[in-house]
Amino acid sequence: MAKTSDRSKYLISPALLIASFIVVAYGYFALTSFFPKGPPGTQFVGTPTLDNYWRVLGSGSNQAVLFSTLGASFLISLITIAVAVPMAMVIVRAKREWVGNLIMLAIAVTFLSGGVTRAYSWLILLGNRGLINLGLTNSGIVDAPIRFLYNWSGVGISITHYLLPFAVFTLIGAVRNLNPSVEEAARSLGASRTTTFWRITMPMLLPGLMVTLVLVYSIALASFLFPMLLGGGKVRMIANQIYDRMFVEYDIPYAAATAVVFLVSAFASIWLISFVAKKIEKAVS
Amino acid sequence: MFRRDLEGRFGITVSLLAAVATVFLLLPVLFVVLHSFSPTRYFQWPPQGFSLEWHLNFYSSSMFMDAAKNSFLMALIVTPLSLVIGIPASYALVRSSFKGKAVIQQIILSPLIIPGVVTGVSLLSLLSAAGMNIGLFGLCLGMLVFALPFAIRALSANLLGLDPRIEEAARNLGAGPFRTFFAIVLPQLKSGILAASVFVFVEALDNFSIAVFLSNDSTKVLPVAAYQYIKDFDDPTVAAMATALIVMSIILVAFLEKVMGFQKSLRL
Repeated sequence: MAKTSDRSKYLISPALLIASFIVVAYGYFALTSFFPKGPPGTQFVGTPTLDNYWRVLGSGSNQAVLFSTLGASFLISLITIAVAVPMAMVIVRAKREWVGNLIMLAIAVTFLSGGVTRAYSWLILLGNRGLINLGLTNSGIVDAPIRFLYNWSGVGISITHYLLPFAVFTLIGAVRNLNPSVEEAARSLGASRTTTFWRITMPMLLPGLMVTLVLVYSIALASFLFPMLLGGGKVRMIANQIYDRMFVEYDIPYAAATAVVFLVSAFASIWLISFVAKKIEKAVS
Repeated sequence: MFRRDLEGRFGITVSLLAAVATVFLLLPVLFVVLHSFSPTRYFQWPPQGFSLEWHLNFYSSSMFMDAAKNSFLMALIVTPLSLVIGIPASYALVRSSFKGKAVIQQIILSPLIIPGVVTGVSLLSLLSAAGMNIGLFGLCLGMLVFALPFAIRALSANLLGLDPRIEEAARNLGAGPFRTFFAIVLPQLKSGILAASVFVFVEALDNFSIAVFLSNDSTKVLPVAAYQYIKDFDDPTVAAMATALIVMSIILVAFLEKVMGFQKSLRL
């Protein structure tokens, strides 16, 4: 055993070297946040200060971006899961196997076709004269085109679309692990399919739903390209603020403080969600 | 395997919802392919014909072709590197226990949970503070840091499913550690290596949030080129690029399906 662990050190050292490089990068960037901005070409100067943090936390508009990022990500994650559950159910339980395979194929192709492709496509689809608005106005559902672009609706739709494959992949495992005989028992005791779904299937699925929620929430928080393209500067999430502070204001310490606040609030909110999820799971079971 | 069909009104509701969701999922992918053949600069419905103008525009644009060259060069450097580094690391993480293993695993996988923008901006900041010209090296390094966790996750999942007793048997029969690895472990890792390669390759090509910080005019990659083009021009050239990427992803899915079944390969 001692011999194996000696060898494993050599095996893992290249990966560890790469990983320590990124840890140094994270650490250095976090350190930057405690200094005043330097003249052009330098990262920071002077003596340590907390000024950048006051700027991030003290301004109302910064707080608004922080809370709308957290809130919108949470809401988008819930919507994504609601869309993903029927898909996962059909993939696992459809009588005809080709139905499940077809949905899986759609997910795989979408997943691998990439973020930029999908962001661009939504940009054209959701425009005032895009396919969606054309369909809605021509069929008489609405009189005037709905504005999807440059507000949260378009950004939300595109992020939901981006998250959907992740959610379905994770939920498939959870649905597959359900023990159908419990549902059968409920049915044979006279419960309707709908009642069985809400009273038996969903509670059994809860741990899987919570894992999925945490996963898609953490991906949603990191959204950058979708608000950048479909938000057109009107909808900003924290990632976009970090980018602007880096490349528009050239204020690296301010960008660094924003990133630190972002990470801390992201981890805190993920922890809170997992904590509440455990409580709910306990209460249900 | 127990299959319970979705029946009755409830089953129909669930199936309908899933169908709507599938249409929602496929809509942007199908639409962008259709739009790439649009005869007009702006979207029109029904389409007034068929044109290859935007495809020609894409393949004759030196900006896009240079970006494609950079993207593929970078992905072709990063993919084998992440395998060469990822395979021994996953082997150590799955097969042996050593001090600090959990911490090391967390550190290696950290770019998975830390937003890409933070990873990109941190790497840019460190590399420029070290006085380094970012260049292709910086771009590949950044992408390797980002892609390595994907490779390690896919490879570890595969390794966890292998029986270590086969390796012990080979060792007991006198094979050295290298021979055991190459003759016993590596052949069984085929599906993990394939899945890892496809994921790393696709992620490296598609990544925007790290690339936007680490690529400059001479190392511009496709997603960054596409973003800049969308900002400046309003025509379907990017749809032609998207079509090329979608065709590539369909070929990759077909390849994965043929070799191992994509249901299995995508369950990571």
